[in-house]
Amino acid sequence: MDLVANNLSYKPDDQYHLNEVSFNFKEGNLYTILGRTLSGKTTLLKTIAGLLTPDSGEIEFDGKNFLKIPVWERNVAMVYQQFINYPHLNVFENIAFPLKQRKIDQSIINKKVMDALKSVGLLGYENRKIQELSGGQQQRVSLARSLVKNAKILLLDEPLVNLDYKLREQLRDEFKNLFSKGLADETILIYSTTDPRETMELNGEVIVLDEGKVLQVGPAKEIFENPNSLKVAEISNDPPMNIIEAKISDNQIRFEGIDVEAPAHLSKLTEEGLKIGLRSSDIELNENGHEFEVELAEISGSETLLHLKRGDTKIIVSIEEVLNFKIHDKIKINFKIDRAYAFHADGKLASSPFGGLNG
Amino acid sequence: MNFKHKYFFLFPGLFVLIGILIFPIIFVVRLSLSGWNSYNPGLDYIGLENYIRLFTDDPRFWESFFRLSFLSVTTVILQYVIGFALAHMVWKDIKFKRFFRVLFLVPMMTTPVIMTVIWRTFFHESLGPVNDLLSVFGVAPKWLTDPVIAKFTVIIVEVWQWTPFMFLLLLAGLLSLPKEPFLAAAIDGASPVRKFIYVTFPLMAPISIGAIIIRLIEASKIMDTVYVLTSGGPGTSTETSSFYIFIKGLREFQMGYAASMSFTYLIIMIISLTIIAKVLTKVLLKE
Repeated sequence: MDLVANNLSYKPDDQYHLNEVSFNFKEGNLYTILGRTLSGKTTLLKTIAGLLTPDSGEIEFDGKNFLKIPVWERNVAMVYQQFINYPHLNVFENIAFPLKQRKIDQSIINKKVMDALKSVGLLGYENRKIQELSGGQQQRVSLARSLVKNAKILLLDEPLVNLDYKLREQLRDEFKNLFSKGLADETILIYSTTDPRETMELNGEVIVLDEGKVLQVGPAKEIFENPNSLKVAEISNDPPMNIIEAKISDNQIRFEGIDVEAPAHLSKLTEEGLKIGLRSSDIELNENGHEFEVELAEISGSETLLHLKRGDTKIIVSIEEVLNFKIHDKIKINFKIDRAYAFHADGKLASSPFGGLNG
Repeated sequence: MNFKHKYFFLFPGLFVLIGILIFPIIFVVRLSLSGWNSYNPGLDYIGLENYIRLFTDDPRFWESFFRLSFLSVTTVILQYVIGFALAHMVWKDIKFKRFFRVLFLVPMMTTPVIMTVIWRTFFHESLGPVNDLLSVFGVAPKWLTDPVIAKFTVIIVEVWQWTPFMFLLLLAGLLSLPKEPFLAAAIDGASPVRKFIYVTFPLMAPISIGAIIIRLIEASKIMDTVYVLTSGGPGTSTETSSFYIFIKGLREFQMGYAASMSFTYLIIMIISLTIIAKVLTKVLLKE
């Protein structure tokens, strides 16, 4: 049973929330919608769920026109980024709610709810009030509520974004476990996120969305290795990929008075306005490297993010250890240039180290 | 904070409180222990005589009290149901929402006594437009002179007059509800009807309790409608407690006896409203 969308558009004001979005989701698969905030992720999920009606386009599920079916008959489940539960019900009643909407035996409901509680690790909490739970627990309740239905389509709208760092890590692992157990072979799982790392870890089919438009579709690895444009490269990397305006001539990449020998996959690109893309993790500290000035050094967790400057070129370097730098310190860095990307002036990928569009 | 003159600043408020609440209550209690009437106006002391008379020798008071209970409970239930229906209707995005919201409030903005006079004209048995219309079907109910129908006439007028207040409280409640549970309920497969039963109604429970209690207190004081519409008649069939106390105290001038009735009435109301509030909380909030 496939979920197929054709040219979905939604434009409630002067901006497109969805712009000609098409996709073909197959059952038993995990799809990740990656995009920055306000890129239309939530709108897309709401449209699939039936909470929004698109201005044009169509959605078909199992060969039937999905847009003609009211929300409550669509058999979808959704987890929202704000943990949405029923404040007047306790944990058990919350999870049982979707089952109570159908004529199901109480004993079966009990069993299913208990199973769901177990799978999200909340056994023993069934009589608690929702308000007495922490954010992470509340989100687990709403996850359990969406699992208990055995819905054909499961929508997860940035489910981890409002949680603190620690809980996010923990719940992300639990999600992966749940998904890998194969929720049910006939489920279509759609997960939206702003976090490239989450996308890579979930390792599903990725749809990159920006300003309501689909930019690229492909497996997570493919998106990571061969982003088809500058935009995708920015969206799918955190911190965003460094973009350097450079010139290539005589087998040398030149910018800000630096000459770096061009690797084989870049050496033939001699056009004007070329942009070189390099991940923040592909730059390292090196005594014999090129001198840059520190603009800002932030320590996040166990890594240090250095915002560096040389002339008009600004780059971000991430280093896997905690280092203390002062502003205006001069440091020397080296580029792992064989891992550099090149983009045409219009933003399209020119060449990638993984073999996309060589030359 | 230790501030020497705080009592000085508390005094104005305290003075008003004593003047308008504490003194009247104490005075009523004292008055109820006296035989103050038109022959003997004065605060003499006759012990519990008034109370003994009330509890052993005055079925009319108790009849009026039970009649009042019936009238107020019935009107409040009707007001709640109709008020909720109207509020729910204009809560959603419908056409002319603002117009309807204001329209439903109009009865509350009218003067009750004057509206009751108009209703009395409406329900007049031979000259009123209601019976004029009903004559098409060949019926002519005695709206104001039949002991049973007159009660329902009072209920109709009360419901018309005060449903808007219930509507206002419930609409405010509906508008303050979080939107998220409704999104979740739709996705969880709840049809609009089930959404109302399992989400809207339970979420509205605390507000409902408040609105019902407020209206019960107000409805128990019903006086003007009865006074103008039927004057408690026919006979005593629409006489309520407050109206009976008014007759005894201010028409027959049995001040001492009226005071003992007022005080008894106050105690009964406090007890019964407390019980009603508890029961409603238990039923609606499951606590």
